[in-house]
Amino acid sequence: MSAQVNQDKRYVMAIDLRRCVGCQTCTAACKNANATPPGVQWRRVLDIETGEFPDVQRTFMPVGCMHCANPPCMHVCPTTATKLRADGLVTIDYDICIGCANCVMACPYDARSIQHIAKYAYGVPMKSEEARFEPERLGVATKCTFCKDRIDLAAKTGQTPGVDPEVTPACVNSCISDAMHFGDIKDPNSNVSKLLAKTEHFRMHEELGTDPSIYYILDGEEA
Amino acid sequence: MSAADKASGAVTSAKSVPSFCYNCVSGPDFLRVKVENGIATEIGPNFDGDRIHPARGRPCVKAYGLVQKTYNPNRILTPMKRTNPKKGMKEDPGFTPISWDEALDTIAEKLKAIRAKGVIDEAGLPRIAASFGHGGTPSNYMGTLPAFLAAWGPVDYSFGSGQGVKCVHSEHLYGEFWHRAFTVSADTPHTRYNISFGANVEVTGGPTAVIRHADARIRGYKRVQVEPSLTITAACSAEWVPIRPKTDPAFMFALIHVLVREHGVEKLDIPFLRDRTASPYLLAPNGLYLRDPDTSKPLLFDEASGRVVAHDTPDVRPAVAGRHKVARAITVDADAARQEFADVEGRTAYQALVDHMERYTPEWASQICDVPADTIRRIANEYLEAASIGETIEIDGVTLPLRPVAVTLGKSVNNGWGAFECCWARTVLAMLVGALENPGGILGTTVRINKPQENRHMSVKPGDDGFMIQYFNPTGPNSWEAQPTTRNLHRTMVPIVGRNGGWSQALGPTQLAWMFQEETPEGWNWPKPTYPELWFVYRSNPAISFWETRRLAEAAAKFPFMVAFAYTVDETNYMADLLLPEATDLESNQLIRMGQTKYMEHFWDHIGVVLRQKAVEPQGEARDFSWIAAELARRSGLIDGYVAQLNRGISGVSPLKGETYDFALDAQSALDPDKVWDAVCKAATVTLSQGKECHGLDWFKEHGFYAIPQSRLGWYLTPTLEKQGLRYELPYQERLLRLGRELGNRLHENEIHWWDEQLTEYVGLPDWHDVPGRWERALVNAGGSLEEFPFWLLATKSMQYHSGGNAAIALMDEVSENLHGATGVIINDKTAEKLGIGENDRVEVRSHIGATYGRAALVKGVRPDTIVIIGQFDHWATPYIKDTERASLNTIAPMSVELTDATGSGADIVRVAIRRADKAAAA
Amino acid sequence: MNEARILDRTVPRQQQEWDIKGALNFILGGAGSGLLVAAPFAAMLRADPRPFVALGLVLVAGGLFSVWLKIGRPWRAFHVVRRPSTSWMTREALIAPFLFAAGALGVFSGAPLFILVAALLGALYAYAQARILKANIGISAWRRWSCVALIVVTAVVEGVGIVAFASPFWPSLAPLGFLLAALIVARYIAWTNYIADLRRTGAPKGTLQAFDVFAPRFLILGHAAAAVFALIGAIGHYPAALALGGAFAAVGGALFKYTLVCRAAFTQGFSLPRTPARGRGKPGPGLRPGWEPPQAN
Repeated sequence: MSAQVNQDKRYVMAIDLRRCVGCQTCTAACKNANATPPGVQWRRVLDIETGEFPDVQRTFMPVGCMHCANPPCMHVCPTTATKLRADGLVTIDYDICIGCANCVMACPYDARSIQHIAKYAYGVPMKSEEARFEPERLGVATKCTFCKDRIDLAAKTGQTPGVDPEVTPACVNSCISDAMHFGDIKDPNSNVSKLLAKTEHFRMHEELGTDPSIYYILDGEEA
Repeated sequence: MSAADKASGAVTSAKSVPSFCYNCVSGPDFLRVKVENGIATEIGPNFDGDRIHPARGRPCVKAYGLVQKTYNPNRILTPMKRTNPKKGMKEDPGFTPISWDEALDTIAEKLKAIRAKGVIDEAGLPRIAASFGHGGTPSNYMGTLPAFLAAWGPVDYSFGSGQGVKCVHSEHLYGEFWHRAFTVSADTPHTRYNISFGANVEVTGGPTAVIRHADARIRGYKRVQVEPSLTITAACSAEWVPIRPKTDPAFMFALIHVLVREHGVEKLDIPFLRDRTASPYLLAPNGLYLRDPDTSKPLLFDEASGRVVAHDTPDVRPAVAGRHKVARAITVDADAARQEFADVEGRTAYQALVDHMERYTPEWASQICDVPADTIRRIANEYLEAASIGETIEIDGVTLPLRPVAVTLGKSVNNGWGAFECCWARTVLAMLVGALENPGGILGTTVRINKPQENRHMSVKPGDDGFMIQYFNPTGPNSWEAQPTTRNLHRTMVPIVGRNGGWSQALGPTQLAWMFQEETPEGWNWPKPTYPELWFVYRSNPAISFWETRRLAEAAAKFPFMVAFAYTVDETNYMADLLLPEATDLESNQLIRMGQTKYMEHFWDHIGVVLRQKAVEPQGEARDFSWIAAELARRSGLIDGYVAQLNRGISGVSPLKGETYDFALDAQSALDPDKVWDAVCKAATVTLSQGKECHGLDWFKEHGFYAIPQSRLGWYLTPTLEKQGLRYELPYQERLLRLGRELGNRLHENEIHWWDEQLTEYVGLPDWHDVPGRWERALVNAGGSLEEFPFWLLATKSMQYHSGGNAAIALMDEVSENLHGATGVIINDKTAEKLGIGENDRVEVRSHIGATYGRAALVKGVRPDTIVIIGQFDHWATPYIKDTERASLNTIAPMSVELTDATGSGADIVRVAIRRADKAAAA
Repeated sequence: MNEARILDRTVPRQQQEWDIKGALNFILGGAGSGLLVAAPFAAMLRADPRPFVALGLVLVAGGLFSVWLKIGRPWRAFHVVRRPSTSWMTREALIAPFLFAAGALGVFSGAPLFILVAALLGALYAYAQARILKANIGISAWRRWSCVALIVVTAVVEGVGIVAFASPFWPSLAPLGFLLAALIVARYIAWTNYIADLRRTGAPKGTLQAFDVFAPRFLILGHAAAAVFALIGAIGHYPAALALGGAFAAVGGALFKYTLVCRAAFTQGFSLPRTPARGRGKPGPGLRPGWEPPQAN
């Protein structure tokens, strides 16, 4: 199976693992920007230990929806709620999704979750939670949207996602180590294209044929 | 209208408000608050500051908790008074809401009554005490309270919430002494090699440090992290060296050994040693400087003329190394005792260092540190090579030496016993290669014991013997403070902490204040310390953040009257008589300085001011701190003094009235916080722009900050010393030696001997002593045995919690769990296997004074003999977090004079046993 | 899962979204569709196929009802039919009405044509269910053809097993024991092939551990005992033995699917080809935590 979308743009994320310090600022920024309930993290940073004492290494790896170009979640979605946009974003239409969880298990990146009941940080809703509560998100699959609304705003304003903060995902904006970059990989002059051209990188579980849109940089010079 | 709109009401107004976060010592960081329909909904960076703020306008993870912090249902939202007269951990305080009038009048009556009796009590101690937490950061949230406190007069800041035991205490004191460095940082933007002894800068250095070190990694710098556990910083380093806890001085001594004995002076920065340090000063056999008999000036040997001359003789070429005959000289010992010498051989201070370091080989250190000698030697060699002695860099048209190597120290390395040795060795390592206060090397960030805080260069003035001036607490026979004036005895016991008001006080031996409230040591020759009659507490929770916290909480319960500015009920204000809810981070205005005045890596390319802005209305009855301070002043009859302090600029940036401007407040306008901050904003901008610009509060509400460029030349102190012809007081510590002897004389004259061990820290050149052995001996002295408590327990920090206040923010707690061990007890996986402990098992960590409980986190990245608890606090009263079980070192680390060093600090380390909690219960 | 580790998802973990309710779709749907497949064989052995078809439909319906209870938005479940192009869940949903129609016509008319069509649709339904699992590539235990083969064979074994269970009512079903035994052998081959496939390609440790725990019971009771009883029943015309064999075979299949969905369905987790070099440090070796590496040939 492959996605039948003719992409003129493809937004990707490039994350430099040499820079990431696992601070979870992106995790918290995402939760702020997207008002996700307690326990739901569309973006999070893993803490991975390798080796044996005393030769031990620890790597911090931000993960979330990889916005695959060949998204298994979309293929299995029986309702067409999950779609692949022409700009590479994988989206979920909350009004169609039935919460069957097929996509949750189709995703090899543990990126999706379903909340069946409303949850609040302190049990009772705070004003800030009430203000941002979205009942349509209950009982359906949710995941990182690449801050879709911001990308959509770029189409209106002519700004460039990944360059102009207003149209860049919250996690990328928040990253204090400058590890996260965002942009259009179809544009050879974009920040991410230039960065990836010079650096050594990999994508998670490429062998599964998902064609993911998050690149992890391991080495090499920055553009 | 979407479903969301239906549920919540459509967004009819939305704005983005610039502000700052200063919830830890690494602030201020810029941020923006999104406010919809009057409710703060989201935090994000303030990209307006991307060229001003070193982290490009981005705050760290903690700032993202501020929305929850504002609307946390557990907040105290009205003034409350205690109804249960009994205080204690088991006594429900029975807090009942009262009006602001009642609360403020109650305090004002107390204040007036105290004032009538006199602000100093019969024991010579201030009747009012105040405790503010976490490294002075509360001052960025307490509005004009400092003006009220200054108007009052003497306040005792002795009761620490962690200073001394939790801060980088010895570094504060010795750092300021040697190079005006309240904290010491690598010049990360320029450095190429950083040996970090437990400096967990990726966690505690804030966004500025994180971005700078990330940039440096990409640039190809090398950081070697020497630390018992693989912390975040160790993880992000090129190399991790798991050293045995508290043996860092031995490692550093071996590094010095390699430099001075295996490489020798020819490979070192001779011009720096010769001209900027006391290396050439000649030492008499008695360990004191040989001085000119007439002028008492230290002598040195001039290689050009072959003569011995006074240190400040112009046009000489002092000999750095060697032994030189001196025909006639004197030495000056404690209490001005002079000794005369004739035809004596003096060796240079550098030579004394070389001789002293002979035995500290890498092979010797290897046995102590449990690190291979080859590793130590290689690191020393890499350090020397990376120092690139001779290389220069041009900064703003000025050519300076580039010495891109830095040794940085972390908490528990640079406080407590052994910290003096570490601070000294680190500074000597910088000195040897000229990396002290030069580009690429180590830098001081700000001053607190010296003045002015906003510009450490201005604190550099000629003092004795060709060194910078120092303001010690006097130790002379007539000048010594023979009866303490503060409860932590800072002026009496710690000469080097100085006498610069609140900061010097707060940096005294704060655990002494807590301990001596309960029990004074044998030979206590002063009046029994009294309880403060009124104790103000803000953003400070010593009942969890200090040591032996259960005992401390019970001590705090005995204080007669406590007023806590309270966010929620917590472990300390559980003992309070009054709780006052203040408008917190997003609910009030305050203008503060930014750039080059702060602690960690905050040397910026700009200086200026930034506004913490009232983004939303305060919740409930919470009130602006500046309003509270003004009302306290008014109701207690101190309004004139309060206004005078405001006009002096105490709660702002510059005086409100200058030669060319006048925004001075009067008694009426000072009651209105907006008017106060409007004046502060205007005075600040007029001063910073040198009269070219003047912006009030409204301008700042829109723009957030005001900055002017600052040359990087301002980062480095060495050029300032060079201009004044001054030297760093290194490597030999003649003055400290003399101070210690004088202090010893004073104490012994008064038959005080309980501080004798601390007096041994005052030496010319430090020797290795068994530093971890001090904790082992303390355990044995307390009746325990090493076999019974076989592990070292250490504490470190997480960025999410950092200080205890964040633990009650649900979001911070949630995201911190993404880091392995951040909420548990970290133990080596093989050790755990031997003990039958599995991942996430509930474990008991027990010291000889008690036990703490948490969940085991099995990792490979920690020494098998070491347990680590990342800053958690064993909360028992603070809502939300008290319902989790989070082990804390603080619960089981003892306070004792024995474990207090000469600066008054201790370290986060204690011997413990660990076992599965079910086994503990069965036993 | 321990609460403190809920967010630590580096290592593969048992999926949490499909609990027993989700698994029942495969347990009941598999048995039901298998029953539809088995019904013509019952007819060939002179038993009335209609009760089997009816029961098959009930089981399939029960499975669908169970999953309907589980989904987040049951009242818009009709959206399930919108993606026939790629979604096997859509296809399953589209097969279902035809399956029910053919089955119902078969039950009411008794016409062999409808029974046969229902059997074909039953096979297709079982296949669709297998492909639902296979398409969920986040679960290593599912995303393989060997799993598809095993699921389909298991369905047929269950169906034939249930028919065999009814042999006390229709003693003429005795020869079905041979078919059941043969199918059990086929399932055994599919099972061993599946496990070998997991080991050959590498799989989450948790998956292999779950199957390691399950395998002895599955092999001894679900295969060996079931086959022996089936053969005794067939050879000796002991309906009770055949029924027992059928029950063992069917229950074994159900437990397998429960294990597959609720015990061995480990997520992919994350991996690193190597660790990043920090500054002038050296990169370290990579890792795939929680995985049993592929077996060397």
